Amino acid sequence: MLHRLIRFIQSIRGYFQQRHSQEPEYPFSKLFKKFQNILASNNEALELIADMGDKLSGDYVFDKQYILSTYEQLKNHIFRLVLDLNTLSPGKYVHLFEVFEEINDTIQQALSGKWVLPQGDFAILYSALGQDMYELVGSKNANLADIRNILDLPTPDGFAITTSAFRAYIERNGLGDYLVQAMSLWDPDDAAACEEIASEIQAHFLSGSFPPEMTRQVETAIDAVRSRKSGDTPCFAVRSSAWGEDSIHSFAGQYQSFLNVPANQLLDSYRKVLASAYASGVLAYRHEKGFQIHELAMSAGCQRMVNAAVSGVIYTLDALSGETDTLLITAAWGLGAPVVDGSVQTDRFKVNRTPPHIIKSVTAARKTTMMALEAAGGTKTVPVPDACQQEPCLTPAQVQKLAETALLIERYFKRPQDIEWAIDTEGEMVVLQARPLYIHTPPGRTADHVARAMSDHAILLNHQGVVAQRGVVAGKVFVVTSDDDLQNVPTGAILVARYTSPRLARVMRRIQGVLTDVGSPMGHMATIAREFRVPAIVNTGVATRVLKTGDGITLDASQNIVYSGLIPELCYDEITSEDVFEESYEYRLLRRILRNISPLNLIDPHDQNFKPSGCQTVHDIIRFVHEKAVQHLIHLGDTRTTKADATSKRLKFAIPLGLIVIDIGGGIQAGNVMSRDITPEDIASTPMKAFLKGLTAPGMWSTEPMSVDFGSFMSSLTRTFSAASESARYMNRNLAVVSAEYLDLNLRLGYHFNIIDAYVSEKPNDNYAYFRFLGGVTDVTRRSRRARFIGEVLERFNFRVEIRGDLVVGRIKKLEKDAMIEKITMIGCLVAYTRQLDVQMNSDDDIHQHVSDFFKGVCIHDIGSENNGFNPG
Amino acid sequence: MTSDRKTTVLILDDEPIVCKRLKPALEKAGYEVESFTRSREAMHRLTERSFDVAITDLKMDGLDGMAFLTEVKKRYPETEVIVITGFATMETARESYQKGVFDFVAKPFKLGEILDVVKKAETKREALLKN
Repeated sequence: MLHRLIRFIQSIRGYFQQRHSQEPEYPFSKLFKKFQNILASNNEALELIADMGDKLSGDYVFDKQYILSTYEQLKNHIFRLVLDLNTLSPGKYVHLFEVFEEINDTIQQALSGKWVLPQGDFAILYSALGQDMYELVGSKNANLADIRNILDLPTPDGFAITTSAFRAYIERNGLGDYLVQAMSLWDPDDAAACEEIASEIQAHFLSGSFPPEMTRQVETAIDAVRSRKSGDTPCFAVRSSAWGEDSIHSFAGQYQSFLNVPANQLLDSYRKVLASAYASGVLAYRHEKGFQIHELAMSAGCQRMVNAAVSGVIYTLDALSGETDTLLITAAWGLGAPVVDGSVQTDRFKVNRTPPHIIKSVTAARKTTMMALEAAGGTKTVPVPDACQQEPCLTPAQVQKLAETALLIERYFKRPQDIEWAIDTEGEMVVLQARPLYIHTPPGRTADHVARAMSDHAILLNHQGVVAQRGVVAGKVFVVTSDDDLQNVPTGAILVARYTSPRLARVMRRIQGVLTDVGSPMGHMATIAREFRVPAIVNTGVATRVLKTGDGITLDASQNIVYSGLIPELCYDEITSEDVFEESYEYRLLRRILRNISPLNLIDPHDQNFKPSGCQTVHDIIRFVHEKAVQHLIHLGDTRTTKADATSKRLKFAIPLGLIVIDIGGGIQAGNVMSRDITPEDIASTPMKAFLKGLTAPGMWSTEPMSVDFGSFMSSLTRTFSAASESARYMNRNLAVVSAEYLDLNLRLGYHFNIIDAYVSEKPNDNYAYFRFLGGVTDVTRRSRRARFIGEVLERFNFRVEIRGDLVVGRIKKLEKDAMIEKITMIGCLVAYTRQLDVQMNSDDDIHQHVSDFFKGVCIHDIGSENNGFNPG
Repeated sequence: MTSDRKTTVLILDDEPIVCKRLKPALEKAGYEVESFTRSREAMHRLTERSFDVAITDLKMDGLDGMAFLTEVKKRYPETEVIVITGFATMETARESYQKGVFDFVAKPFKLGEILDVVKKAETKREALLKN
């Protein structure tokens, strides 16, 4: 299948290269058709991407078929985009086929279910680990990196030795074939023979040598860890972090760990960790579960050793007692290993899971021995001083801090957690490891029980918004009305706000849930809620009116319902259910392929990386094709190479738009045929006239603080680019393609990029207007305010509006001619008005001020009167 | 639910994720649910008992959802069948409705959507039973 595609691409490439030399003679109308195809595919592809991203919210039930077929559609659009761009400018972007082929190849591999382990560095610092790197560093390392990098909790400094390193080690020492051969003799019924096979395999692993590059990378990582903290040379804890460990098949605890390993012995310990994966017990377990020997991919975590005064384990749900509201902490003096393996007496603290986490009971044991660090490396067992033996080893404040931290981790991973922690000799708490705690719902706690508990609570909101991130939480409401309020948000609150402001991101880590009146599940805040996995329902319309600060509620963003009061049964049911959406194969597959699809890296067309080889994702290709297609059409108009079926003119205008107008039929008054320039009076295109009317409406264009005239404003922007670069020539070049009823306008003003595509005739059924606005440059908060402003204006004019980040799309159709003209005039006003907005968008309140100013402005011009459906809000 | 007896729902979809997500959601809403990823097993279960509502995919590997829904309606005409499918064509939709399907839900769907449809099917059944 893939080979067929490659052959096809090669033949196409040959075709275009040939065509390049012949310079095809396409009539303009044909080229323009290609351009329109590009616009259409561009929009559809972007919608598919947004749609896939939206599915990650968890509100949808989707299967693998959805992922396969949606990607198939997307792929077809991209293919057509690349094809059409190459038709438009023959042979110029042939390389784009290869770039797409590469991206597609990566995605297809993931879709085919082949978990090809990614190639990567041999050693990666925890601070440099991104999300979703499970295959490269194993679950334990990946979880710890999330805890450090996303939740911002203290974890030991250190690095991961990756599965790539493991593979290199296997290859260098010829262990791959050897393993298959050795395991072919495995007979579960012959215990002695199994023992022998295992110890032979382990001996092979222990005698292997390291690839020099691997040794070098590990040493570099050790140096980095050393340099980040002054003092002695660090010692490390070396732990296994196999891929698939800690999942349903729990290999946890089966592999060896080594404590307090001096840097110069680290690689030796790593080798022992690898060998421990081939102990007879582990091999037997894997064999029984049907794992193939080559499926094992080991990674190791190397953490700077914590000199622990106290250590222990937290179960965020006390699994044994069956108490649904209890978190259990066990603790002992010194290092934690004896707590984990149960070889010492421990203190037990039972804590209420609900804030403020009241301590329910303390059982202090008599602790006679503890594990401590040996100066030269390794550990020793020492007696606990008499005075401390009967003392609880945690203060109430420490217990509360631990509970808070543990529940933060649980909220993120959406599962009860088994967490190892330590408090060092300086009193700082450190998270050493977190893994899911699998709890089987005890009999009696069935769905029935939950249904009964729910029936006692009033429903406050029922499907009144859109789920941006699923999940169930119970807690107290905190209503945010201004940015100042954000400082006072209590930990564990459920935030209620009018808008989905990206500012809320600041507190996202500490809160349990979010509800907003207005907002899109595709917006910036929703993305952040998903990153932190904070349950969120947006666009409820009424949340700030229905809920008050201090109200106890249960937010069920899985069913899209908000209940009055706290329903711990529902929360318990959610986190212990087998159905953790984020753990499902389909979720991970979709996330995985979206990594190669949705991030946008090519933003500034003047950046030197704005070329086919700079495209890393599908989105980049879409962006690239669109930009080049527009440029190409501008170029065609500009260099008078248009064919006899179209006329290209420069528009002379009060505002220097640098607009090239290409007429494909009746869009420009017949008359002065010879002149290269036209004035607005020469325009005959209905939608174009309407747009220009709005653009030049008094009061819309030049207001404070941009008191400089537009020409100098534009030139100040142009100056930031190299005057010699070819792109600078096009800074002031914009393009309109018109006919009597049609307008397609691609207008860049500074960094704002507007597209207007409209058809206005006497037949309402054919009429439509499409407006797309994409901004840039300024910080994300202002960008999102600007998007909200535009969205709000368009909505009040009854456009169907979609906002994704700072991209705003408005659509309206099938209105009478006069109404269409007014809508398009309003868009002209809006384009003029927004050009100076970024500077002024200092706070959320400015949005309302601007909406109101804008309306005052348009009303003067008789736009937005009642008869065309203006909705004053 | 008006009576003490819970409304019973059968789910058949060869994609385990669909069963895995639908079953707990419906249970939480108070239904009694059995789910199957193999039509043979679902068919066999029909010989043992009836369900108030059946939710089935149409296109599944190695089996025909249309055959399954035909069997359900033949055996238990009062069972309301809801079809969920990612390949909705006019033809399959028409055929399904001709066979007496209650509703047709396109995949992917929101949990809330399917709950609404099941609720409506339940209401319709209750109304029929009263008459």
